[in-house]
Amino acid sequence: MSETPADHDDGDTGTTDEPDENGLFERYSTRALVAGVTIVSVVALLLAGLLFPDSLAGTLADTLTSRNTLAAALRLSVPIAFAALGGIFAEKAGVINIGLEGLLIISAFSAIYVADITGGVWIGFAGGVVASTLLAALFAVVTIGFRADQIIAGLAVWLIALGLAPFASQVIYGSPNTPTVATSPSITVPVLADIPFFGALFSASPSVYLLFAAVFGSWYVFERTAFGRWIRASGENPKALDTAGVSVTHVRYAAVLISGVLAGMGGAALSLDLGQFTGNGPTMVNGKGFIAIVAYLFGNYNPIGAFLSTMLFAGLDAVQTVLQIQGIGIPRQLIRITPFVVVIIVLALVGRTRLPEAAGEHYDTEE
Amino acid sequence: MSAVDRARDAIDRLVDASASERILISTAALVLSVLIGAVLVLVAGRMTTCTAGEAVYYFGTGFCYDPVVVFDRLFLGALGDPFSGNWSPNGQFAVTLRETTVLIFTGLSVALAFRAGIFNIGTQGQMVVGALATALGVLWASSLVSGALGTVVLIPFGLLVGGVFGGLYGAVPGLLKAYADANEVITTIMLNFIATGIALYLVSGVFKDPESAANQTVPLPEFAQFPALLFGARQDFSIVALGFGLLALAALYYVLEHTSFGYDVRTSGVQPEAAEYGGVDAKRTVIASLTLSGALGGIAGAMYVMMILGTFQTGIPSYGFDGITVSILAGNNPLGVGIAALLFGVLKSGTTVVQFATDVPPQLVGVLRGLIILFVAMPEFFRLAARRVPGAGSRPEAVATDGGSATDRGGETDE
Repeated sequence: MSETPADHDDGDTGTTDEPDENGLFERYSTRALVAGVTIVSVVALLLAGLLFPDSLAGTLADTLTSRNTLAAALRLSVPIAFAALGGIFAEKAGVINIGLEGLLIISAFSAIYVADITGGVWIGFAGGVVASTLLAALFAVVTIGFRADQIIAGLAVWLIALGLAPFASQVIYGSPNTPTVATSPSITVPVLADIPFFGALFSASPSVYLLFAAVFGSWYVFERTAFGRWIRASGENPKALDTAGVSVTHVRYAAVLISGVLAGMGGAALSLDLGQFTGNGPTMVNGKGFIAIVAYLFGNYNPIGAFLSTMLFAGLDAVQTVLQIQGIGIPRQLIRITPFVVVIIVLALVGRTRLPEAAGEHYDTEE
Repeated sequence: MSAVDRARDAIDRLVDASASERILISTAALVLSVLIGAVLVLVAGRMTTCTAGEAVYYFGTGFCYDPVVVFDRLFLGALGDPFSGNWSPNGQFAVTLRETTVLIFTGLSVALAFRAGIFNIGTQGQMVVGALATALGVLWASSLVSGALGTVVLIPFGLLVGGVFGGLYGAVPGLLKAYADANEVITTIMLNFIATGIALYLVSGVFKDPESAANQTVPLPEFAQFPALLFGARQDFSIVALGFGLLALAALYYVLEHTSFGYDVRTSGVQPEAAEYGGVDAKRTVIASLTLSGALGGIAGAMYVMMILGTFQTGIPSYGFDGITVSILAGNNPLGVGIAALLFGVLKSGTTVVQFATDVPPQLVGVLRGLIILFVAMPEFFRLAARRVPGAGSRPEAVATDGGSATDRGGETDE
């Protein structure tokens, strides 16, 4: 994981004008450190598991090498990774979208609602994407058009969705949880699906494949297209973009709307995968939007890096779910909070990530 | 002119520029949110089903929910129906004041951090930690004292325990921000999940009340809870607790405006670079503000346990998130928090009345919470709207990420 494109990408962004080279160096080393420690501990665990199959290490090693764990990790990473991709688009363009959680919530509910009234899973999926995009459009108007503070507006988006989705569910279904709808069957590639462990990659729900496509597509947009360069310029040096005759406002609107579309796909996939939306407490989204933010910060704004760090969090989540069921002496309630603890540790190790130069700032076109 | 003077100037200019506009914006945001809420109620009324007799008719269309009834119940109901002729302090009004009391503390918690330029989204988690610590600490101490003396000793003790534990939990994101540069928005949100998880673990295990089916601690004896003076006991409101709240408002106002710590906090919020240049220890200020903010959140939890519930139970209502709205609505001004907490207390208490009188789901107030924040965050919107009215001029500053916020020294009165 130490040679992920995340590290590579930071090098060729090339526009870093952080005051100290030192900080940059430290950041590389902590990223490498986290990756290194992860790999070393996994290898050590596998060895220990091999030597002492009946110990706790044995149980953990079994869990880690199980094909079901990979399948679960992929499934769990779908909403987080989609939201992270969306977050990259918005933030690279200069708009910090902290409302990803809200976009996931609103799309998760809308997808079920639309699927329920139309009977079509994919129509429901589209409905979720539309709802999320509309909410993202509101966020865009408020932050870009009316110059609202991005963090506060993002919090508002989260809280509105956190209230609106259970409200709507209560009105329509008489409970914050919706009834279940049909789910779409998983797609299995013959032969390849029979490979041990990695076979899970070839027998997954359609949303997993959609995610692979989105990760690659986002990477392509940023690395190979003019639009990708505009987005980067809009976040790093809006004035230059303006001078070049491209409207910063338009680029930012487009980027925030794309973040709405991507987060919508994540939210819709999340609820349609289970066939139900649950809206009690923090809802079924349960912090995934915020974990997504840490995932793309850790992945250094690179779509592939963000996907890999999502897999780290989702992998942990998958392992903890298995451990909850198997029981290893640690109480369930404590195992359940491990992903949140790891997010904090990762954030503390990565430390200050280099935000795009103009992120969080409003840009006024000079006339 | 030293950097400190420049920073002071910047603050003063912000104050003069936007104190009155801020009140206007908050009022406009509130009104607009209620109007949108009314539309939402109408739309929701179209999406649900009811008999023709129950429906109300506007513009020739039938709706299952009547927004006029909803908002009549929401506001007048929350005040205990002052125009009905048989108003009593033991009614819904006491519930409103009860909610207000807790909201004062969560609102102050968020406001203090905001003023230092820090987003403390973790008031909810700090409240959970403070509430659990208070429930356990007071339960332990209640075996040592009893009677009226017990009340006098245990209530301050409980508030202290809540404050200390909430403060320690608030110090965690402070340390992470000061020494590891970890963004506090993310860490505090994660710490909310962690607090809930740990509390669930403890309360469903070692500290579980063996007599109860719910995940809760052993209930506190009556003398270890806030006494219900003047108001009825059924509403779980204590005027003493509200007194503590008003005291906290005044104390925080004094600390922010008239002490050197408060000055450090405000300058760090408005102009972090100038503050540091002028000799403010940035790390220390971050840690201290988040610790104090967490302590206020913890006291909110102590209030919830010792005034409302009498025990700690999992699933603490989201006062912490409501605190964000209260603080933003108040322009992060401690005195404004009093008024905003009362307004939001009305919303929260009124929601239960609405639920009684109509079928409108209580989650409505959650939507209003978000809408109010959204509108207060966009003063530009109201500026444009005001431009259409001749005579409206100057430009209010946005509630800013860097905590840039106005203080109101113009003798705004508290409730």
